[in-house]
Amino acid sequence: MSRFLTCNFFLLFFFVSCGTYQYPNASGIRGSAPKELNNYYIDTAQTLVYRAKLDAFKKHINGSLLVKTLGRNEHRVALVSDFGQTLFDVSVLPDGYELHYAMHDLNRRMIVKEVVNIFRTMTEQRYATSAVMFANQQHYYPVYVVDNCYYVIKERRVERIQQIKGAKEHLTILYSEWSEEDMPTSIVAEHKKFPLTIALTLDVDQSTF
Amino acid sequence: MKNKLLYFLVLWLPFCGWAQPREMTANERASFQKSLQQLVEIKTISADFVQYKHLSFMKNPVESSGKLYLAHPDKLSWAYTAPFQYKMVFKDNKIYIDDQGKKQTIDMGNSKQFQKISALVSSSMRGGKYDEKEFAVAYLKQGKADMLRLTPKLAGAKKYIKEIVLLFSPTDKHVEEVKLVEPSDDYTRFVIKNRKVNATIDESIFNL
Repeated sequence: MSRFLTCNFFLLFFFVSCGTYQYPNASGIRGSAPKELNNYYIDTAQTLVYRAKLDAFKKHINGSLLVKTLGRNEHRVALVSDFGQTLFDVSVLPDGYELHYAMHDLNRRMIVKEVVNIFRTMTEQRYATSAVMFANQQHYYPVYVVDNCYYVIKERRVERIQQIKGAKEHLTILYSEWSEEDMPTSIVAEHKKFPLTIALTLDVDQSTF
Repeated sequence: MKNKLLYFLVLWLPFCGWAQPREMTANERASFQKSLQQLVEIKTISADFVQYKHLSFMKNPVESSGKLYLAHPDKLSWAYTAPFQYKMVFKDNKIYIDDQGKKQTIDMGNSKQFQKISALVSSSMRGGKYDEKEFAVAYLKQGKADMLRLTPKLAGAKKYIKEIVLLFSPTDKHVEEVKLVEPSDDYTRFVIKNRKVNATIDESIFNL
């Protein structure tokens, strides 16, 4: 009897955790012509300095986020506090990452993994071949799907990336303002599982693009 | 062609590099320690600072600047004015922060790191005594300038800082540069300018 209950419990748990995510107001997924997405961080001549405001687990840190494009989907990203202390310095690579430095208190595998995921989602160029279908298409902006990420396009630019894990929203990256060169000047990364938000504002004077 | 390049490098390289610091002689060290005595008399300092954050992969350092005010024994105002506004006041064992109008207070009793930052800044600006239990102190000369290199001895501090280098002005013997080197060898350099010593500082500077 107890074995039967245990088996049922695990089966129930398995089916609940494998539920699929339904994009709001979507009626399904369709194939689309290949579409290049998130072309913001592809120029190796660019170095971007963002003013960063980080709220994590009831703590607030101000500093700078530095992004240097090294190659296609290869970025060196460093987060530095106002006093100049390096919090993270990591190379985000297509099939992994190389941690150059993490401040002692933050050098935990799970924290580094989540931070790398945020920077990767923010900087990675993707190709979509699927898009979301809406029942009333005139009301919605195009939304492309690549793996577990939904890319919302407004005025031909990626305006929002929603990453899904385990049928739930895991991370949202919102690009809300752009420079004349189409570089995002205002970005908010909001983690949906942990109380973690990073607000970024481009420091145009210290950036080269 | 290769030989020409080698000759060129051998001949010119010594002139291109930074002057390497050397250890002070016994006389120089005695004279330097005497000059530090005058700094202990300092009651207040106001100055501008420029902060340069150097990372190995960045061509140019990230620059910020601001104003600092120090009133002995325990008040320090550290305010960034460009490219952003952010002010911290260390007093009464608390840190008062004004982040573009958003104010908060942190009890320093809960943050040993901030206590040490405040003590180190105050101590450095006043040429103070360095706790030889916490730091190995090297007395150096770089050109005409005196230099102190503090290397943390305690394991806790070593996790955050590899060394602190203080460069003193050859003219008035005050601290004019502070360099904080991280374990990764990236570093932050603070350059102190327009220093005013023992001028009256309005109390409102330390109120947030």
